[in-house]
Amino acid sequence: MQSILASWKNSKWPTHLLIIAGAFIMIYPLFWMISASFKPNTEIFRNTSLIPETFTLENYRYGWKGLSGVTFGHFFLNTFMLVAACIVGNILSCSMAAYAFARLEFALRRVWFALMLVTMMLPFHVTIIPQYIMFNQLDMINTYWPLILPKYFAAEGFFVFLMVQFIRSIPRELDEAVKIDGGGPFMLYGYLIMPLALPAIITTTIFTFIWTWNDFFAQMLYISELKLYTVSLGLRMFLDAMGQNQWGAMFAMSTLSLIPLFVIFVFFQRYLIEGIATGSLKG
Amino acid sequence: MNPKLINVLKRNAVGYLFLSPWLLGLIGLSALPILASLYFSFTRYDMLTAPDWIGLDNYREMLLNDQKWRNSLKVTLIYVLLGVPLQLVFALSIALMLNRGIRGLRIYRAIYYVPSLFGGSVAVALLWRQLFGGEGLVNLLLRQIGLPGHNWIASPDTALYTLIVLKIWQFGAPMVIFLAALKQVPTELYEASRIDGAGRWKQFWRITLPLITPIVFFNVVMQTIQAFQAFTPAYIVSRGTGGPLDSTLFYTLYLYQKGFTHFQMGYAASMAWVLLIVIAFVTAMLFLSARKWVYYQE
Amino acid sequence: MRTRLKAFAIILLSAVFVLGLAACGGGKSNGNGESAGGSGNTAQSGDSGSGETVEIRFTWWGDTARNDLYNAIVDRFEEEYPHIKVKREFGGWADYWDRLATQSAGGNAPDVVSMHQFYVADYAARGALLDLQTVIDSGELDVSLFPEAALDSGRVNGTLVMIPKGITMPGWVYHTATLDKLGIAYPDINWTYDDLIAISRQVVEKSGGTMWGTPDMGGGQLQPNFRYFVRQNGEDLYTEDGKLGFSRDTLVKWWSMWKQMRDEKLIPDAATSAEYDGVPLEQNLFVTGKVALYQIPANQIYLYEQQFPEGEIHMVRMPSLPGGQNGEYLEGAYLSITAQSKHPKEAALFINFFVNSERSLELFKVEQGSPANTDMAEFVKPLLAAPQARAVDFIQTVIPYATSAAYAPAGATEVEAAFKDNATAIAFGQKTVEQAADDFLAAANRILGQ
Repeated sequence: MQSILASWKNSKWPTHLLIIAGAFIMIYPLFWMISASFKPNTEIFRNTSLIPETFTLENYRYGWKGLSGVTFGHFFLNTFMLVAACIVGNILSCSMAAYAFARLEFALRRVWFALMLVTMMLPFHVTIIPQYIMFNQLDMINTYWPLILPKYFAAEGFFVFLMVQFIRSIPRELDEAVKIDGGGPFMLYGYLIMPLALPAIITTTIFTFIWTWNDFFAQMLYISELKLYTVSLGLRMFLDAMGQNQWGAMFAMSTLSLIPLFVIFVFFQRYLIEGIATGSLKG
Repeated sequence: MNPKLINVLKRNAVGYLFLSPWLLGLIGLSALPILASLYFSFTRYDMLTAPDWIGLDNYREMLLNDQKWRNSLKVTLIYVLLGVPLQLVFALSIALMLNRGIRGLRIYRAIYYVPSLFGGSVAVALLWRQLFGGEGLVNLLLRQIGLPGHNWIASPDTALYTLIVLKIWQFGAPMVIFLAALKQVPTELYEASRIDGAGRWKQFWRITLPLITPIVFFNVVMQTIQAFQAFTPAYIVSRGTGGPLDSTLFYTLYLYQKGFTHFQMGYAASMAWVLLIVIAFVTAMLFLSARKWVYYQE
Repeated sequence: MRTRLKAFAIILLSAVFVLGLAACGGGKSNGNGESAGGSGNTAQSGDSGSGETVEIRFTWWGDTARNDLYNAIVDRFEEEYPHIKVKREFGGWADYWDRLATQSAGGNAPDVVSMHQFYVADYAARGALLDLQTVIDSGELDVSLFPEAALDSGRVNGTLVMIPKGITMPGWVYHTATLDKLGIAYPDINWTYDDLIAISRQVVEKSGGTMWGTPDMGGGQLQPNFRYFVRQNGEDLYTEDGKLGFSRDTLVKWWSMWKQMRDEKLIPDAATSAEYDGVPLEQNLFVTGKVALYQIPANQIYLYEQQFPEGEIHMVRMPSLPGGQNGEYLEGAYLSITAQSKHPKEAALFINFFVNSERSLELFKVEQGSPANTDMAEFVKPLLAAPQARAVDFIQTVIPYATSAAYAPAGATEVEAAFKDNATAIAFGQKTVEQAADDFLAAANRILGQ
């Protein structure tokens, strides 16, 4: 308690004020969206103030009921499963590749690494058609496989590269300690590198969660059956450029869909921020 | 057999074992679509009939005649050159600020990530109009102090810059990565420097920054690669048209229009490969420069 | 730390397992509750009645209300034809076309697809659509009650590739309460471009400059506004052999008219137009009360009326050119069968049910326009709400003016982009009308010349 007071006295209050002002700019769209989700459809764009003239829960009711008896809850479950599968895939495959690139010696290492970076430089709009043809041949259209499978083969170079950078920041002397204890490369991976690269793994988890949750283009192309819809497909269902948009329902379900994202973020960033470095370095 | 050779083989075997998921994925999943797109780039391909080989025609048309292509490259370069450095400086400053041991900052960290959760959603598009539109907040403030207003998001000379502001505003992803990196800086080093009597500023330049250069490098490379492929931001001001007057016609947006709206997938593919070369060149430059300023603990 | 990580991995791995099970289960259970089984096996159940179930796929674009509606129609079809299962795929307008292109390229196109004038030429010219005469000849599809003009609107280069679900006509709308408040007389159904300008002047004047007359319709899409104008001038957008069909003179006249209105501030300035370009219905200039006149297709009248707390939306014809010809041509929303379909007969039975049966039209009403089948158009009339009935009245009033119109050649979307770019350049003062016209013609001829 005293330390807080002290910190305020130490002329930190301008910092605080700045942070709060900044936070408001950051969070305004969230407030706006939540307020819109309680307004009737016709009011949303006429009254842009944060306080609804007419308060309604109808948007939540209408949005949640989904379509043809498939509720939004179903979409949430689908998305959770999809996201879980993607996270596991990314963590396992990307960390393996990253470990190889950062710590192991083998022929053509630099070539493969360069190639990995290059695969990220091609806009996906031109590979999506051949990819679709491929998955169609494999009879995987209308399943989650086209969305999940690449994650088990480290297709997201972003995370491989991220982990490479983290692993390279781990001092080599620690490796030596393991080696002196008689550990081989597998021990090194499982017992030293992985725990020490935990911030990178947590970051991967957070980003995979958020990006998979928000992605729509691939989901839209591969998933057309309502029962397999994800949250982002469900949200797009409310909008149609040629017709009437269910803005209220869209904002209501968007608000709900932000809750898991927010929870995941708050939950994991604790591990990201607090105590990991000190805890594991001593372990 | 030579024990040295055995050792080399063993090392290679282990290396490739760990690399195998990625390598199998490259061969089985990625290689085919990538090579197919390379092939398409030499064809006229409308997606509905078989590709028709036309050699370098697409490339020639693009490089010599396509005014829109030139413009989209320019738009994208401005976006990359301004957006990436500004966003990263901002992300790092906020990360440093949020990395201090002040109470309540945990909530701020989450709040500061909110804009990035939204991506290119409708809510952000609306916010941007309320801020930078003809009747937006910025104009309201300008008029208060007697300056003329300007339709920031819908004028060809300013629309792109509102998107650069948007990019800076959505600094969450690099910020989180910076935070993770800052946590890897051993606290002992700070304690040692405090004994030496180094101030905060000096600490940052002498200890923090050098130790996180691998992550700074990562963020620079990845944000550059991603910014070159920026697509969704165009939906914020122009609903995907790239207007007004092509001032927000990002490279990949034009590529998408060519492919999916105009049914010229072959041309789109050739655009993609030119972009790949541009990005590869820039990335290679970054890697070369990294030798001078990135420090690994090796 | 390690244990935490392990626990984490275990939880997630088990999630994958759950996912695998769910995916397998989901794959086996098919669609919505269709097992209504042996109900009325109707007369038409057709030739493939070997008892084997055939699965076809039907796809459409639409909003949530339409998704509900079409799902219900498909359910009724499945009741009537128990041996045909229909898988449904839908999405918003933009997603719809991206997915359809990808599916077609991937050899996985649905059997029955919703079609639109904007895209039909692109698909038909590349042989992606079935010649529907084949299924008419073999008896699955009955078009005997379709007026020749309606069928004709589904022909591309003489081949019937799509059947209208609904016929609609574009027109200009005004909101009665708004004009009443301003004290401006409603426009006549046969108004002219001069009337459009005159009323716009009144709007600006009486609203004290808080409203414009109309949005800037000089650019944007080639259809319907500009196309009506060229047709009124005795030309058309394209010739039958796929060349540009209008003169530089017509184009200059058109853009000059809009430039004059812009200079007079009867329409929004360039930046404001850009700001509102392509915004959703609920945010557009008309619904937010910034312009008094607006151009929409008749079937959307009821959507617009819902946006206003009071007053009605009335529609008049597209402005006419004194001494000119009629600009009208049929528009609508259509159904096609893809050339890739393995079950064209079942697909045809589905279309037949969709456009010819009371069971279907009872639900469809005028969702995407007035039914083209004349009996069905009469059948739905008593079922309509007031704004929908107004739309049908309007459509039936103006249909007699309609004459046939050639479809755009492949490459038309790029011509349209050039049209829009040049119109915008005029608006922002970067090109004169003459420069823009020259640039557009050069670009268009280059695109179409190839």
